[in-house]
Amino acid sequence: MDKQAFLDALWQALQDLPQDDVLESLEYYEEILDDSMEDGMTEQEAVAQLGSPLEVAQRIRMDMPLTTLVRARAKRRHMRAWEIVLLVLGSPVWLPLLLSAVLILLSLYIVIWSVLISLYAVVLALAAAFLGSLGLAAFTMHEQDLLHGTFLLGCSLICAALSILLLLASIGLTRAVCRGTAACVRKCKKRIVGKGSVS
Amino acid sequence: MDIQLKRGLLDVCVLAAIRHEDSYGYQIIKDMKPYVEMSESTLYPILRRLEAANCLTVRSAEHNGRLRKYYHITPAGIRRLEEFRSDWQEIVSIHRYITKGEGEHG
Repeated sequence: MDKQAFLDALWQALQDLPQDDVLESLEYYEEILDDSMEDGMTEQEAVAQLGSPLEVAQRIRMDMPLTTLVRARAKRRHMRAWEIVLLVLGSPVWLPLLLSAVLILLSLYIVIWSVLISLYAVVLALAAAFLGSLGLAAFTMHEQDLLHGTFLLGCSLICAALSILLLLASIGLTRAVCRGTAACVRKCKKRIVGKGSVS
Repeated sequence: MDIQLKRGLLDVCVLAAIRHEDSYGYQIIKDMKPYVEMSESTLYPILRRLEAANCLTVRSAEHNGRLRKYYHITPAGIRRLEEFRSDWQEIVSIHRYITKGEGEHG
């Protein structure tokens, strides 16, 4: 395969993606091919080192944001007339079902974040309790009541310890949720790219 | 190698390749070859990602009657390299911990 055939095939395979992105990647691969040949490779060798145009296209797709991929997929798939009729006629049934499924997933996700937020609120409350009882302890000790002052001081330290421990746990949980979200997005991307590139 | 780990490492490798002077795609791969094997289609998304993160800037310059893209490291890119050096100490100590008991058991 020569350089032009490779670039044409790559361009064909990326037709459904935004033109700017496609042009940019074509420029990149053309430059690599030119530089490889300038460095002494033959045109065939230079093209062969890149792998097949379909493989390269697949890599470029994986690099696109999820929204771009979904839009590209919708563009690629042409529906038949009866499919459209069925879809429209069936919409009173599937639309609410789909909508509620999406909303349930969304609300579950929101619940996860609200739990996290309330954890942080508890951390704040404990910190406030620490400051408050510390002040009270200082005041009580100032009033010469050492017994109650020491008790309050102990309470405030317990609050501080709990608050710090809970803060660490909350940060850990937040990280885990972020990682989980990223993993889900990656999985969705893989599904869309995987299905699309075969056809 | 674990994908996430390798991804982070390759980002830093590319920044190191343009640290002292601007370079272009083919040259970056060639410079890295003795240390780490990187394919052309791996480099492309890394360059895009680093540009989006403001770690490098791109300019086109003429070469032999065609345009070639040169990549230039930014202060943010240099910072990222320096961060990696301090992270590395942590990675070394983790490695030491993981491989600690191995000699005794087998």
